[in-house]
Order: sequence, then structure tokens, then C-alpha cells
Amino acid sequence: MIVLLISLILLCPLAAFAIFGLLGLAKRSFPRQDYLSTAAMLIALACSLLLLQEVVPDPEPHTVQWLSLGSVTFSMGFYLDSVTAIMLIVVTLVSSLVHIFSMGYMHGDPRYPRFFAFLSLFSFSMLFLVVSDNLLGIYIGWELVGLCSYLLIGFWFEKDSAADACKKAFLTTRVGDVGMFIGMMMLFTKFDTLSLYGEGGIFAQAAAQLSTGDMVWLSIAGVLIFCGAVGKSAQVPLHTWLPDAMEGPTPVSALIHAATMVAAGVYLTARMFPILTETSSLVIAYIGGITAIIAATIAIVRFDIKRVLAYSTVSQLGYMMLGIGVGSYVAGLFHLTTHAFFKALLFLGSGSVIHAFHAMHGHGHDDEHGHEHDDHDAHGHDHDENHGSEPVLGSEIPPDQDMRNMGGLRHKMPITFITMLIATLSISGVPFIFSGFWSKDAILAGVLGRAMEWNSVHHYLLFGMALFAAGITAFYMFRLIFMTFFGEPRNQEMHDMAHESPKSMTVPLLVLAVLSFPVVNTLWFNADYVKPPEQPHLHAPAHAHVSPDSKVGEAGLTFSLFGISEAVAAEDGADDTHGAHGDDAHHGHGPAHTIAMVLSIIVAGLGILLSWLFYHRRTLSAESVATTFRPLYTLFWHKYYFDEFYNGVLVAVTVWKSRLFAQFDGTIVDGIVNGVGTVTRDILAAFVGVFDNRIVDGLVNQVAEVTWSIGGRVRRIQTGAIQTYLFVVLAGIVLLILIFRVL
Amino acid sequence: MTLQHYLVISAILFTLGIFAVLTRRNAISILMGIELILNSCNLNFAAFARFMTPPEDISGQIIAIFGIVLAAAEAAVFLAIILAIYREFGSIRPDEVDTLKG
Amino acid sequence: MEFTLKTFIFYGFALMTIASALVVVTVRNIVHAAFSLMVTLFGVAGLYVFLQADFLAATQVIVYVGGILVLILFGVMMTSGRLEMRIHIERGQLLLGGVVALALLMLLLTVIANTPVWKNLTDDGIELPPTTERIGELILNGPFLLPFEVVSVLLLVALIGATLISRKEVRDE
Repeated sequence: MIVLLISLILLCPLAAFAIFGLLGLAKRSFPRQDYLSTAAMLIALACSLLLLQEVVPDPEPHTVQWLSLGSVTFSMGFYLDSVTAIMLIVVTLVSSLVHIFSMGYMHGDPRYPRFFAFLSLFSFSMLFLVVSDNLLGIYIGWELVGLCSYLLIGFWFEKDSAADACKKAFLTTRVGDVGMFIGMMMLFTKFDTLSLYGEGGIFAQAAAQLSTGDMVWLSIAGVLIFCGAVGKSAQVPLHTWLPDAMEGPTPVSALIHAATMVAAGVYLTARMFPILTETSSLVIAYIGGITAIIAATIAIVRFDIKRVLAYSTVSQLGYMMLGIGVGSYVAGLFHLTTHAFFKALLFLGSGSVIHAFHAMHGHGHDDEHGHEHDDHDAHGHDHDENHGSEPVLGSEIPPDQDMRNMGGLRHKMPITFITMLIATLSISGVPFIFSGFWSKDAILAGVLGRAMEWNSVHHYLLFGMALFAAGITAFYMFRLIFMTFFGEPRNQEMHDMAHESPKSMTVPLLVLAVLSFPVVNTLWFNADYVKPPEQPHLHAPAHAHVSPDSKVGEAGLTFSLFGISEAVAAEDGADDTHGAHGDDAHHGHGPAHTIAMVLSIIVAGLGILLSWLFYHRRTLSAESVATTFRPLYTLFWHKYYFDEFYNGVLVAVTVWKSRLFAQFDGTIVDGIVNGVGTVTRDILAAFVGVFDNRIVDGLVNQVAEVTWSIGGRVRRIQTGAIQTYLFVVLAGIVLLILIFRVL
Repeated sequence: MTLQHYLVISAILFTLGIFAVLTRRNAISILMGIELILNSCNLNFAAFARFMTPPEDISGQIIAIFGIVLAAAEAAVFLAIILAIYREFGSIRPDEVDTLKG
Repeated sequence: MEFTLKTFIFYGFALMTIASALVVVTVRNIVHAAFSLMVTLFGVAGLYVFLQADFLAATQVIVYVGGILVLILFGVMMTSGRLEMRIHIERGQLLLGGVVALALLMLLLTVIANTPVWKNLTDDGIELPPTTERIGELILNGPFLLPFEVVSVLLLVALIGATLISRKEVRDE
């Protein structure tokens, strides 16, 4: 049953893609191909929901032997645990909604069928990644989603900026993937397998080895694999591709670059949880924390609505990494799930706003890339925000994505406004009734709990970072809402043309809005359902741990709202309730969780208040603050100069190196090749030529001449007169009979 | 009359036919020689059917009939070819028709 | 072997056949040769009668004399001008042809004379019933049906082919 369902989940999108591909090759089109794709995804979604019931604790992987190389065998297979099941639902659900949204958003695009083909391929790859039970399968899916991301970012490849962005995304993530591959090879060398689960799987072997100590190489392998996640999930320092990836169509941003593919990095890290050592965990936590802050601060000063969301995504992914890095496995994955829904919602909402503004350009609202093309032409040369060394304020933002052109849209687009507001409240951490609060709070509580338990400076510092990032998140998200939907229209002409989007776009928004409430998420996400795998260093003697199992079991409440907080608290509690409070799990996790919750409410409120003062009441002037903190503002505006650093150092060094090598190539290698060529041609070839002409040709000619002369003589016999032939035949017969009968 | 009577007549006819085919310089004369050869064959068939098989078995005669039919077909085609050759070369002397000469 | 009227007539037919055939291969006028051939064919028809092959004899006369010979005469008339009526014969060729033909005749006669099973086979003067009915049975309702059909198709093909080959326009295509 499990195998059947998973196969269906994988095959539906793949079949949709294959049908598109074949039709595309045949240069035929099929009426309403989008329905086919969407139906495939809906079937996959249904299967995913069915799979939810099939999850058992400690499942066995379903594998088949795939490839035998000498003594090494690679297998392919499925692994279905609660995390897989939840990821499957997240992917298929968001993908289905994005498919539906795209029917409206991409309507009329000349490459409309191709778009759906790529979406199907992406869905397949992502699902494949999620269900794989081994690193090889994960890596295959990993690269396939990277490819789809590349194809979809560059979907409007007529735009130079889109073409550049897709290359950048591909190359940047590749840097991380190299690390991941090296990490995989390290594990492979050590364990002779790439399978994660089951007897002889990496986890089983690692657990055995970890008990004997010697964890340095494992730390290195863990960090290297995490490198892949850094690239894919756009963590510092490889985060620069994700904002540029917004050049792709907005549904793509929602599906790939907010909800699923970028979350694959988090998923991978969570998958590798059992082999993460203390060191590698700390690296992951720090990278996550730094990413959260850096991305959040950059987001403050962006004016492009999609880029704000992109940096917000980076920041939230950092959060998830932080959560997993400090051992709050459930919290990290929980945040992944809630984030997938509300961030997809935000992106689709922004897509709805952009879509609304298309009409005002008078190009008809269905040729987005066409008019963006015009815009870039108008700017003379393409001058991408992240590529330009001296960006001029706002000049590189397409007008329909520039928040300074928006304002007061809440009356024009009520559904979009309401749904986006819900998502914003969720991401900002407005307490109790929004899912984002619970998941973010869970991470904060996890960090603080770890800090208090281990009394570790590192973790207190990380908690501070996370808290700070939470406040900034609330600030810039409300800045986005205020600038877009409140106040007076800043551009009356555009405002007049704006309109609410069609049903195919608003329905997914509404569905996602519902999913932003924690009640829904609780249905499947609770402590009974998701259990963190054991991570050896958390139980290391140094930290005087007792087994957390008892706590997890006790605290697992499934009751609506508090189910989540309890689920997460159980995890935190697991760490600090042994010892003094070991007898009372429910009170044991109290301090860390309560403090974290109160603090997060305070910073979120503070962020929202400041945002309100700056951008709605305007009692504080953003400009004057910017002037006061000029250096800081400039730093944020230039995104910490990451791109400048990469362009100035890495690219320059690469170009310089390439020139050097080109010169080496041109003079020395070519010289050798040409020298060999000259020698061959002038000396060897001359000799061979003489041999060929004299001996080989002479032989051939001689044979031909002999044949010719023989033929010349023999042909005389052939007189052409029938009677002569007949005479010879008869004479021959007579002679033969005479010889054989008479003699 | 014995079988050998007929065989001798047949052999003489055959030899005369061969002689005509070998020596005549006219395609139609050659055709006549061929007809002589065919006649000698038919005569042989009929004679063997009479003497070598039971009297009621007349298969040999039927073969001879088929031989006559074939001779008719052969004569028709032969004459058609002669006409075509005549049109092409202006002559029906076989020694002048030597396009295949090596 | 007693010398009866029957043998006399037989020898008469044999002589007629051989003599006229000799004329066919030696005479220089091609029209004479053709008429001489007619005599030969009649002679062979007579020999068929002696073999009690009455249907065969009739066919010989009708097809050969009435069909093929007329065809040959037409061929003569269409291809030969007055000058060509005379057949050109070369002496050397005549000599060589004669030698080969004579050698062949000697060979055949030797074979006929020396083959034991052919010796002393006589017809004993037995009168056989007419063959026409049996031939019809054998051809149209017996083992020779298939060859008969095949040979009729062959005849048809030969006639069509002959027509096609001898057409004047054949080279104009």
C-alpha cells in the first residue's frame, strides 16, 4: 500500500511531464494541458493524505537494488516516516495550489504549456528527493530540483536579468553541492553505503561508531553535507542567488523559492540529524542565526515587494537551520511547514498584486514578460539590483513590483489584502491564533532551553540573534503591508487600473490563508506524530542527560492550539527537566518556554509598533533615521556587499586565473600541439607520402595493369555472334561425349 | 517398324536442324532449323510413348502437344524479335548483329 | 520384317521428311526453304499417324502448317527484300558446321544402335483406340490440368510480349 501510494505520487507528475515533453517534441499542443498537470498534482495530494495514516514508528525502508559496481551496491528506495509524510503533504498541497494559481497568473503566456511541464517535473523531483531513503536518491532529486529551479527562474529568458539570475542560482547552489558531494563521499568511504536507514545504513553504523568516540571526521562530513543545504536553502554566505531568483514567474517563487525547494536544505539537515555532532550542530546553528539577522536587516531597506519576501524567506530558513542546529528538530520542521504555507501565501499574494498592476501598463494583463522587457529596454542596459556596482535607488525595480508605487490597495483587492495580512501576522509572530507564532516560538524556546540547560554562551548569543531577527521580521513585514495596502495611493494612475485577481488566483490564496491558522496544522503536527530521532551528542555524558523519551510521550497533546506548544515544549523539556524536575515534565519545561514566549511577543509587538509609526502614522521618518545611521543603512542597502565581494574578488580572481590559463593554453599547450603537428606534417607525412606513392600505389597500379592486359586479350573471344557461341557449345558437347563415352 | 526407325529419323532431323542453325546466315532460316529440332524432339516423345510405356499411357503425346504449343509461342516471339532487330539494324543476318562483341 | 504396304508407306513418309528437311537446310531461296519445311512437317504428321497418335498428327498439321509456317512466311516477307531472299552461305562456316553436325549424327546413331533397351521394340501391329478423348480427359480433368493452365498463360504472355516487342512505337517512348 505504501509503495503503491508513493509510486502514484511520483508517477503522476512525472507522467504529466512526460506527456508534455512528448507533445512538445512532436510540436503538438493538447487542449487544456494545465488541467492535466493540476489533476496529476491533486491525485498526488490525495495519495499524500492517505499516506498520513500509513506512517508507523521506526519504519523499514522499501528498497530495490539499483546498481552494482564491483562489490558495492547502490539501492534506491522509499522511506516513509512522519517527516516524509508531512513533507509530501506540504509539497503536493503547495504545488497543487500553485498550479491552480498559475492558470490565472500565467494565462496567455506564449510558453504556457512549457511552464506547466516544468512545474510537473519540479514536483516530481522534489517528491523524489523527499521520499528517498538514501543519499544518492536525495542527491539525484536535489540536482533535479536545482535544474528545474534554473529552468523556471530563466523561464522568461528573453530578459537578460532572468538569464543572469538563473545562471547565478545554478552556479551558486553548485558551490554548495560540491561540498555536499564531498561529504557524501566521506560517508561512503567510511560506511560503504549511501543508504541512511535500516541494518547497515549510515545511521546505524554512525551510532555504533559514535559510541567509541572519534567524531572529528564525522563533524567535517556533517558540515560538508550541510554545505549543500547552505547552497540550496540560501544560507549565508551562499544566499545571494535567492533574491535574484525572483526574476522568475511569481508562482515559481512561491513554490520553489519559498515553500519547497529552499526548504529541501532544511529537510536534508533534518534527515542528517542523527549524524550531526556537537560541532557541526553549532556550525549549523550559527549559520542559521547569522543568516536570519543578515537577511532580515537587508529586507528592511528593499522596495521591491518580491525581494522583501525573498530576504524574508532567507531569514526564515535561517531560523529553521538554527532550530535544527540547537537540536530542536521538531520545531525546525514545524517552522518549515508553517512557513511553507504562509510564505507561499505571501508570494502568491504579491503575485496577485503584480498581476493587478499589469493592466495599468496597457499591455493587457497577460503579457507580463513582454512589458518587463520593455521596461528593461527603457533603462537602456540591464542593470540588475544585485549585479550593479553602484545601484541607483529604485531604478532597477520593475514598476509593478515597486512598493513605492503602491498604497491603499486594500479597498481594491480585499481578498488579496486579507489573506496577505493573515500571512503577515503569522510570519511576524502575532501570538496565539497564527501558526507562525507557535513555530517561531518553538524555535526560540528551543534555543533558550538549550542555552539554559548547557549554560552555554553560544546558545545565549544565538537566542539573542533569533530574538532580534524576530523583531526585525515583524517590522519589515508590516512595512510591506503598510506600504502596499494602507495609506494613500502613491501612483494614482496605477492605482486606478488595479483590480482584484480572478478566482483561480484568489482561491489558492484563501486556502493557504486557512492553512496559516494553527488549528489546521495541529491535525497532523503534534508530538505524538513527529518524534525527533536520537542525536548522540545530546545524550553525551558531559551533559548528564537522561533519555528524553518519557517526556516526549507525556507531553504529546494533540489538543488544537496548545498541542503545538506542548509538542515543542516536550522537546525543550526533554533537555531541562531531567534532574531537579525530572518527576514533573509539564512544569519542567516552563521557564525557558515562558521566557521565550514573552520575549518573542514583546519583540514582535515592538516591530509592529515601529513599523506602524514609520509607515502608517508617519510620526517617525524613515528617511531621517536612514540619514542618521547612514553607514548602517548603506550596509543594508548594499546587502553587506556580498555581491560586490563575490564580483570583486571571486569573479575577478576567476577571470584573472582564466586569462592566465588561456595564455598558458595559447602559448605553451598550443605551441606543443602545433609543434607536434608541424613535425608530423613536414617530416613524417612526407616520408609516408613517398611510401604511399611509390610502393602502395605502384602495387595497386601493377595489379590493375596486369588485369587490364589479360582482359584485353580475353575479350577477343567474345565475338558477339550467336552462331559462334553455339558452335563452340556443340563442339564441346560432342567432344565431351566422345571423351567420356568412347574413351 | 521398330523404335529405332523413329529414333534414326529423329536424329537425322535433329542434325539437319543443328546444321541449319550453325550455318545459315539468315535469322528466319535459323528459325526453320529450330523448328526442325523441335519436331525431332516431338517425334521422339511420341515414339517413346508408343514403344517404351504401356500402350494406354499417352503422357508422351501430351508432352509433344505441349511442345507444339511452346514452339508456336517461341516462333511468335522469335519473329517479333526478328522484326525489332530488322528495324534496328536494317538486317537479320546474325553475324551483323554483334553489339555484344567484346 | 515383311515388306507390306504399311512399311512401304512408312518409308515413303520417312524419306519425304528427311529429304525435304535436307532441302530446308540447303536451299538458297528462303521461300523455297519455307515451302520445303511444310513438306517436312506433313511428313512428321504422317509419322505420328504411324505411331497411332491421331490427335497429335492433327495438331501438327493445324498448328505447324496452318500457324507457324504462315508466321514464318510473313516474317520472310516483312524482313527480306528481293535481294535478301537468297541465303548467304560462307564456305568455311559450312565446312565447320557440317563437321560438327556429322559428328553429332554419328554420335546419336551410335547411341541409338548401342542402347540395349531400345532394341527390337515393335508395335506388333496392335491397333489402339483413338486418343483424342483420353487426351481431353488428361488435360482438362487430370494430372495435366495445371501444366495446361500454365502453358496457356505462357502462350498469352508470349503473344502479348511479341506484340509489344514488334510494335513500331516501342523506341519512341
